[in-house]
Amino acid sequence: LEMQFWLDKAVAWGQADSPDTQKDTCLHMSRLRDFLQQLLTQVNSMSSTTETMKRLPFLGQLLGRLCWNPYVTVCGEWSFWTTLIMMVIILAWWLLLGCLWGLYSEHPSNAVEKKANQWIRKVLCQLSTEEDDTAAQALMKCTGVPAKEYHLKVLRKVLFTVFHCSGNSDNKDLSYLPCRCSCDRIVDISEACIPIVTCPEASSLISVLLQRPVACVTEVLSEDFLNALTSAYSRQGLALEEQALVSLWYHSFSSLEEAVLSLLQSVITTGLTPQKLEQQVAQSLLVGKRLFSKAIICATSHHYVVKSESVLAEMPQGAWRNHLNWLSSSLQRLTEEEEEGDGRSTRGHHNVFEAWFLLVQCAHWVQVAVQLLATSGTEDGDPFLWLLIFYHYPTKRWHHRASRLAQAKEAWNHIRTLFSGAAHPLPSDRLQSLDTLVSPQPEQQSLAPSLTVSLLVNVAVFCQLPPSGSAEVLQAVRKTVSLLSFSDYCSIQLLLNAKLSMHNA
Amino acid sequence: MTLESTISFHPFFGQETLLYQPDWYSRTFIQPTKSSFKLLCHLLSSLSSGAYQPITVNSHIFSRFHNNAAIRRIMEKQLQLTNQTLRDTIPGYTEVSFSDLPRCQHLLLVRLLNNPELPSSLMKILFDTTRPVKTMHEDYEDVTGLCSHIVQCKSVYKVLSPLADMSALGADAEVQGEMLMERLEALLNQGSETCRAEQFLGSVLQGCEGALQQFCLVIAAALLTSKNCTAQTAAHDFLLDWLQKKHSLLQYMCSLLSPTLLKDLAKEHQKLRDASCNVLKKWASEMEYSLSDGEWVLTSTGPGVSFKKLTELFLALFDASPSLRGDVEKELNALKISDGDFDVTGLSVWGDLLSALNM
Repeated sequence: LEMQFWLDKAVAWGQADSPDTQKDTCLHMSRLRDFLQQLLTQVNSMSSTTETMKRLPFLGQLLGRLCWNPYVTVCGEWSFWTTLIMMVIILAWWLLLGCLWGLYSEHPSNAVEKKANQWIRKVLCQLSTEEDDTAAQALMKCTGVPAKEYHLKVLRKVLFTVFHCSGNSDNKDLSYLPCRCSCDRIVDISEACIPIVTCPEASSLISVLLQRPVACVTEVLSEDFLNALTSAYSRQGLALEEQALVSLWYHSFSSLEEAVLSLLQSVITTGLTPQKLEQQVAQSLLVGKRLFSKAIICATSHHYVVKSESVLAEMPQGAWRNHLNWLSSSLQRLTEEEEEGDGRSTRGHHNVFEAWFLLVQCAHWVQVAVQLLATSGTEDGDPFLWLLIFYHYPTKRWHHRASRLAQAKEAWNHIRTLFSGAAHPLPSDRLQSLDTLVSPQPEQQSLAPSLTVSLLVNVAVFCQLPPSGSAEVLQAVRKTVSLLSFSDYCSIQLLLNAKLSMHNA
Repeated sequence: MTLESTISFHPFFGQETLLYQPDWYSRTFIQPTKSSFKLLCHLLSSLSSGAYQPITVNSHIFSRFHNNAAIRRIMEKQLQLTNQTLRDTIPGYTEVSFSDLPRCQHLLLVRLLNNPELPSSLMKILFDTTRPVKTMHEDYEDVTGLCSHIVQCKSVYKVLSPLADMSALGADAEVQGEMLMERLEALLNQGSETCRAEQFLGSVLQGCEGALQQFCLVIAAALLTSKNCTAQTAAHDFLLDWLQKKHSLLQYMCSLLSPTLLKDLAKEHQKLRDASCNVLKKWASEMEYSLSDGEWVLTSTGPGVSFKKLTELFLALFDASPSLRGDVEKELNALKISDGDFDVTGLSVWGDLLSALNM
């Protein structure tokens, strides 16, 4: 029954020529792959091609429709059907090959088997040696460039052009030049890459897509694309380099989950000696502690967005206010007491440090504090601002907490004034002042960019700003991107995405 | 001398040239003798072991040494000797020349895959999908997975190419243009052997028989490659001279090109600009006014354009070179006057052309 379904599907794909059909093919790919896997198991269990043909009479037809490309050259272009076939080939090439090998008889014993052999060889020969492009054939012959090299060159040129919207490649590194593509295009490109996620040839393009700094609020890589990557990763069919893989984790929590779970699983199954653990970590894609810790940071960021939201949902805002107010005043009292006197008492500093360390363990409280700051009045926000400053600059003596607090207060007031009730879009001088606020001043000790950005982002997310206001804040945030670590930036991005999904939900 | 001893006697070219005898081994496989079949299988199996890479070694040799006249001479001599010996030993042997070497991979694959005696183990090696893909910068590539890699490369390209927002040329034409230029530059660099360069262009043209349109795109792409070195300028000049000699080809090219492409080409190459201008003027002179169509049409046979496209092409040339506009205007005016200086449509192509070009 399923065979008939897929036969009909293959016929339908061959007859249609719209982008929707291409999308349809993409969506059915994983099911088709599973079906082919089943077929392959069946084929391998048979003892001869004759038996296979008897038990699965339509197998030849299906494989033919999936592999055979009786293309019609229209002005030298392949027909759309061939494109679809190619997609099937990419996604399930090893499965198709497996089925073909299953049908091939080493020593054909009858006419049917001989015919099957001949057909299989013909198909494979056509696929790998025939060029629909006469000029390509002629040039390969006259210049001595072998087919594999030629096709790789063409592919690289296309990859480069797809991403850089221009024709000059010169074999440059894809990530080297900035992309000039619009947000919609990025989404389109990511969708088009769904069939080729496992191809090493496309890995450079996919890496760039994953690592590209986000340029606008609405731009998001296609969900289907991320899912395709994740499932390829779980099948260990992904050929991405380390950085791109980490970026994937940031984009898609499920891929990170997958990575961590598989690591844990392999650790558990092989036993938990320290050497084994290190071995496993090294062997798996999470190479080195550095990568593993990145994974944890990422997990924490993800977790932390989810947690903040859920906690805020659980506890009424009033309760949080009370709690954090109490916390802030307690910590203030503690630091004042301990920092009294000449500050030479090490015990005092220990206490402050311990208190700070405990706060760091509950870092999400600080996040909540900043959120509450955004929704508080001028006076009410003071304790929360103090908490934020204490988190970044715990000591008076070495971190200059007092002057930092003053700076932060100034910055915060500035931001509030800029964005509360002012006309949008902001006049340029106001935006300029925002820039100055955000860029580090070389002469004086300025606030940590992450702190300023945190304030800005929280304004964008939690204040009742109109969308244009949020956009302006984001502009300012973007400018500080180079100052932030990638993980900080991603945390912010996650927050923003969360807000957007709340909006859109 | 037995077959095996003949082959083992020639360490380098012997064994490989044997593989590139399409007739020999297709004959061998159709009526396999036990020894020749075993021998071939042995040779081919060692393809995957890395010990012995006839397919890629020969392509490599060709690309490395075809520009080096001295080495090429030595190799051709060696090939001659091998050819001689094998011809004496093997009936129906067709000689392999140096220039055959790059085709070998393609030939070999085609012949192998079409042969009923091909063992499935060899097919599986060629289509292996388990090994990671190596870059193309390695000199001696393993043939394992070669065919699968080609298939997948082609497939990925087809899937992505609709997304590539390219000029009229396309990624394939651009790469082909680059290949052409590289080879042309190399041939011209060798010294005064311009006939080899001409031969090369001629053989490419011949190879594109039946696909002339593609050939023109390749030439256009070749002329638009930009590396800004003297070798390339010389090669471009050579190509342009060659193109001008082939009058009908130049005409065909002009009829095919989009105005944008013509503009880009004319901007880079004055020779081409002038030659195309002459083609356009020639077309205009061969046009007659058709009362039924209400416009000028080309009466001559061969590649041509509509009056509308003619004006577009002229405008493209003027875009590329503003000074040309003035010169052409003068010329057209003179021709219009000689035609009787009418201002009525349909009487003089020159007059109508002038008004269509807003002159």
